[in-house]
Amino acid sequence: MRVKTVALAIVLALSATTAASGADPAPPEPPGIWTGPLQGAVPATITGGEVLGTEELAALVAAEGPVLVDVAPWPRKPENLASGTWSRPPHRSLPGAVWLPDVGNGDIPLAHEAWLRARLKALTGNDPGKPLVIFCHPNCWASWNAAKRAILYGYQRVYWYPDGVEGWQDSGRPTEVIQAQKRPG
Amino acid sequence: MRKSCLALMVLGLLGPATAIAQSTDDDAARAERWHELQQAIFGDRTIGDGTGIITLDAPQRALDAALVPITITTAADRNVTGVALVIDDNPGPLAARVRFGPVGDPGFLALRVRVNQYTLMHAVAETSDGQLHETAKFVKAAGGCSAPVGENEAASLAEIGRMKLRLQGEAVAGAPVEAQLMIRHPNFNGMQMDQLTRLYTPMRFVQVVDISFDGAEVLHLEGDISLSTDPVIGFRFLPGALPGKLKVMVRDSDNATYEASFDVPASGS
Repeated sequence: MRVKTVALAIVLALSATTAASGADPAPPEPPGIWTGPLQGAVPATITGGEVLGTEELAALVAAEGPVLVDVAPWPRKPENLASGTWSRPPHRSLPGAVWLPDVGNGDIPLAHEAWLRARLKALTGNDPGKPLVIFCHPNCWASWNAAKRAILYGYQRVYWYPDGVEGWQDSGRPTEVIQAQKRPG
Repeated sequence: MRKSCLALMVLGLLGPATAIAQSTDDDAARAERWHELQQAIFGDRTIGDGTGIITLDAPQRALDAALVPITITTAADRNVTGVALVIDDNPGPLAARVRFGPVGDPGFLALRVRVNQYTLMHAVAETSDGQLHETAKFVKAAGGCSAPVGENEAASLAEIGRMKLRLQGEAVAGAPVEAQLMIRHPNFNGMQMDQLTRLYTPMRFVQVVDISFDGAEVLHLEGDISLSTDPVIGFRFLPGALPGKLKVMVRDSDNATYEASFDVPASGS
């Protein structure tokens, strides 16, 4: 299993440079969670869930008030910080969204996975039929992965919004600065 | 020196603990962020409107967030002594700070930078009377999804410190000459993961670039993690006499230094 993951990672690393350029065609869905580079072209579909465009999302927000989950990676503070000109910039998101950073990463610690399960449970009021919208940035696998996880946990109405925060901004809709929710570890 | 130390200290305080008020008013939130950065970088100095003094050119929408071309121009008659480029919503907001020497031309500076998310960028000019002047531009580019360390960085690391200089047109003594310097350096920002080892590549970036012509200073640049892989600096210098030598000294955050010297021929020679 471990060997397989590593082999997959190597194949993915080889295609990383082209994937990052942004103009690439959508790749097919991976069989499970994507463990390659987070940034790059994403699939056009997500089995078990539904893909939303900005207008569809706006309509869903107006009609049903779904749970909005932003899974954008948390800017990682470098360990060997020499210059100190580093600060976490403000994080903009959809109004009303909850930011659960890093839960869309490929390999996540068990503690983070348990936290994601618990947060989703609380946010949906333990209702697996509650609409759940998961997003981050364009060309970012984090939201695909997190949506996949929610589907695997048994949520029945998982919506993946691949255009993410920037797609929302591009439509001229307002965003708000939000803080990350504290996770263990 | 003293000023930049202060800036670093203050920036250190702007960590995750800084409470940024929740706001749906984007303009107010952006203004607040710039105000904080202004304090951190320039202290209590007031910054005036830079209209007619400094301009900042950047694509409104960048195709590649890791390589956003920026051009800063300043008015020839305003005695600009230095410029700073701030990318407000980057984790390393102060992308570069440049001081121009006696044979440097403050009129033109071009850089390539990384942009983390849709952000305001500010260019600030300092004039010989000690005043600061700002201009801003909103840039749409988003690279905040942890760009991996790619083949480019590996190639760049293999040739670290190699430099190339390209002169635009023929140099004529007494007239400004435009040049483009390319420095091979991965400029690791400490946030890129190596997909093979699954480890984050430690931060290592170009910290200082000193350019001189025949012993006189052209410019002194202090860089940071927001400069792109293989930093490119476009600048102008004023050769008093030709031929001459343009010398470049680069120091990175690991304290490695690299030097290069380029012949600048007289026109027609």
